Amino acid sequence: MSTRPPTLREKRRYLLVSVEPAGTPINQKDLYYAVSDATTSLWGDVMAAVIMPAVVAAEGRFVAIRCRRGTERELAIALSTITTCRDLRIALRTVAASGTIESLRERIRTVKTPVTEDSVPSEGTFEKKVFQLNHCDGQKVDVIEKGFKNTNRLFLTREDLEEL
Amino acid sequence: MKITDACVYPYPNGDSSVRRMALEAQSLGFDRLVAADTPPGEFYGIEVCTGILIRGTPLKDLINRVKRERIGDAVVSAEAGDNGFNRAVITLKGVHIIRGIQSAEKNAFDHVTARMAADNRVAIDLDLSPLVSGRGITRQRAMHKFRDVLTLEQRFEFPLTISSHAHSILDMRAVREITALCSLIGMDIPGVENAFSGVDIITASPDPAVKVIR
Repeated sequence: MSTRPPTLREKRRYLLVSVEPAGTPINQKDLYYAVSDATTSLWGDVMAAVIMPAVVAAEGRFVAIRCRRGTERELAIALSTITTCRDLRIALRTVAASGTIESLRERIRTVKTPVTEDSVPSEGTFEKKVFQLNHCDGQKVDVIEKGFKNTNRLFLTREDLEEL
Repeated sequence: MKITDACVYPYPNGDSSVRRMALEAQSLGFDRLVAADTPPGEFYGIEVCTGILIRGTPLKDLINRVKRERIGDAVVSAEAGDNGFNRAVITLKGVHIIRGIQSAEKNAFDHVTARMAADNRVAIDLDLSPLVSGRGITRQRAMHKFRDVLTLEQRFEFPLTISSHAHSILDMRAVREITALCSLIGMDIPGVENAFSGVDIITASPDPAVKVIR
């Protein structure tokens, strides 16, 4: 089958989104199901067929999601209604929209990673409970309560952990 | 005008500390948070106001609670009940916001209640959590209720507030995303801006009944 000439191809747009909480392992297929479910639930089958969402790339905590040109707003609204991917609680924050994946990759490179000035202890206390460090990103510190029974993440800042 | 999320639940009600929520709110474009059961403060340039949510109490207990809380600077809100309950709550001095209108019964908020809310400067809260995390009939009902509230708001011009009811930073949404979500219920950008500044309106000192002109 020969490929269509560029003028006859569908025009696409790509949304760059960051996945919160940072450090969440992203399975592209699971994320696609979450995006597809959210789009269909919010806009219905007819509009979902027009939007045609697809997860096309994942780099670190960033994901590129494809849609048809002119439906970026609808897709962005649908993305803001995603709360879980499989059983993981996540949030997708739209960062940018572009016509090519390459320009989104440029954008990822320009996004600054917060610099951690000094080391963060692997354990700390907050509200008289001992927590284990799960992820640290600048001021943001994600912790898990020590002990195998409770594995829920808590979202704190370094100042909170300093309250020893 | 301060862009305000009118209700968040930091730790211990949620899984994020108030500092972390403020840090997230800063990156999402907010200026102020109303945090339930949290002392006031300022973190990372975000003003945090104390929010008191009274729910599931009979009117008599609610009146007593409001009298106790009136002294402080807290934003006091009451959960909507039936029509009679809402009318009584709106006339109470010290109640700033009526919440949970989407879960109240069909005629809980009518044109008379709307006029009373406008006269007493009591805001109606638009809780976006059913729009974000709800699916199917739950979301449809919430959208229908909010559209009804907006119709009355255009006629009577009572204050509105927008809240995420976030128990976690993962439930918080950016100002741009909230504006887009509000467009689903027929709110335009100036309307959303007014609703974001609704807390300013309800916490401002009331205009004096008599103005002295010299």
